[in-house]
Amino acid sequence: MSGRTEGGLIERRPQKSASKQSHTPRGGRDIGFVFQDPSASLDPVMPIGKQIAEVARTHLGLTWSQSYARAKTLLERVRLPDPDSALRAFPHQLSGGQKQRVAIAAAIAAGPKLLIADEATSALDTIVQAEIVALIRRLVTEDGMTLLFISHDIALAAELAGRIAVFRHGQLVELGMTAQIVDAPAQPYTRALLDAHIGLDTKPLLNRAGLHA
Amino acid sequence: MSLLAVSNLTKRYRRGDNTIAAVDDVSFHIEPGETLALAGPSGSGKSTIARVVLRLIEPDDGRIEFEGDDFLALRSAALRARRARLQMVFQDPLAAFNPRATVARVLDDPLRIHGIASRSERPRRIAALLERVGLTADLAPRAIHEISGGQRQRVAIARAIATKPSLIVLDEAVSALDVSVRGEILELLLDLQRQEKIAYLFISHDLGVIRSIAHRVILLDAGRVAENGDARTVIDAPQSAIGKALVAAAPRLNRTLMRLASAGLD
Ligand SMILES: Nc1ncnc2c1ncn2[C@@H]1O[C@H](COP(=O)(O)OP(=O)(O)OP(=O)(O)O)[C@@H](O)[C@H]1O
Ligand SMILES: [Mg+2]
Repeated sequence: MSGRTEGGLIERRPQKSASKQSHTPRGGRDIGFVFQDPSASLDPVMPIGKQIAEVARTHLGLTWSQSYARAKTLLERVRLPDPDSALRAFPHQLSGGQKQRVAIAAAIAAGPKLLIADEATSALDTIVQAEIVALIRRLVTEDGMTLLFISHDIALAAELAGRIAVFRHGQLVELGMTAQIVDAPAQPYTRALLDAHIGLDTKPLLNRAGLHA
Repeated sequence: MSLLAVSNLTKRYRRGDNTIAAVDDVSFHIEPGETLALAGPSGSGKSTIARVVLRLIEPDDGRIEFEGDDFLALRSAALRARRARLQMVFQDPLAAFNPRATVARVLDDPLRIHGIASRSERPRRIAALLERVGLTADLAPRAIHEISGGQRQRVAIARAIATKPSLIVLDEAVSALDVSVRGEILELLLDLQRQEKIAYLFISHDLGVIRSIAHRVILLDAGRVAENGDARTVIDAPQSAIGKALVAAAPRLNRTLMRLASAGLD
């Protein structure tokens, strides 16, 4: 019964004059990662400003002060309140969603060509989530970033992805354009996933008769 | 008498030179067998409330009555005894355990610590707990890291109900689960509530899930209560600015489909 994961993906159009020389893609520089549990990718004893600045410094060759300026801009872009004081905060001083936004800022700090986001917005409220979705969409359309967006939330994946690949037990069940997957899935498993989605208009599971308040 | 009555709770944190009120004069109550959901923007104070209610941190101000006692005044043995009635399930609740610890070990702890069953009785109790949460007893000798995420969450629930609690605090307890497993866990929680009259303080960002399983909801904004009412009524027609914004921003399959249709196949 352990169904798993809708992966949505947006592809970058091939860029004509992208540098020809091939090199092995490097984590941080060419590929940014965001994982579900932001604590796992953040250093608990380093101020978060430094963690983000370090990515920019290492991969973009900026000075420390340029890197900190970039870190602050990134914290604004992921809508972290009070970015100045947040730069100096340690991860344990932030809420779950704030840490997740820091992890996203660090992942995009070096302007990666590919962003792999694994349940990257699951700890965010709907408002910040929508802002992050808009931010990621801009990175894709304006900066030509490619996105691999892994999520349990098919409604969210549908908002971001051009195509959706449905996996079960590590096997590809179905791959298609978002509209086709959501509107006319070919596989019963995809149908089951869509039916398990609890939206704002789904019939509630709770039968109210039960409570003796 | 309410099961839990929280009055004028305040918790401040210092960060650098600033002090922020993570929770600012919050009051609410939970009745036996009721689910009260807490929602609100990231950083609005939900987890802080959960931690104060569980007495993992002390508030700066306020009063908590739990099962008729002044809960913040309880110390040592009295606190330990009362803690058995107040359990928690977090997003990855078994993360705190050694991954090589067995399922039996995880369930043995609360039974032993709270003196609920003698050593010879405990294996039978553990088997019964596993069955109660829809698992089979042969899972007992398995290591935590060998079982699936859904099974782990069931074990965490089994651990929480081992001490026969009247209230379980769930902080993003189902957010990491895939949709089919999540549905099963929600059904399990509702079933436990019906059978044992357990109340839940249910923290989530998922307004669809809250609308589906909670009786009432409190919307927090910057540490304060912005809106409070019947879960379906509030989510179907929020009155507060923050409620309207949270609902408007929720992803909606229908809306996305319409957008895709009108944009043509891009
Ligand atoms: N130990 C701490 N030190 C300083 N500030 C803290 C600490 N813990 C929490 N905070 C701050 O208190 C506020 C409330 O945090 P809390 O974790 O309760 O939010 P939340 O509503 O659970 O958010 P999320 O939805 O992101 O999990 C946040 O602004 C957070 O940065
Ligand atoms: Mg939280």
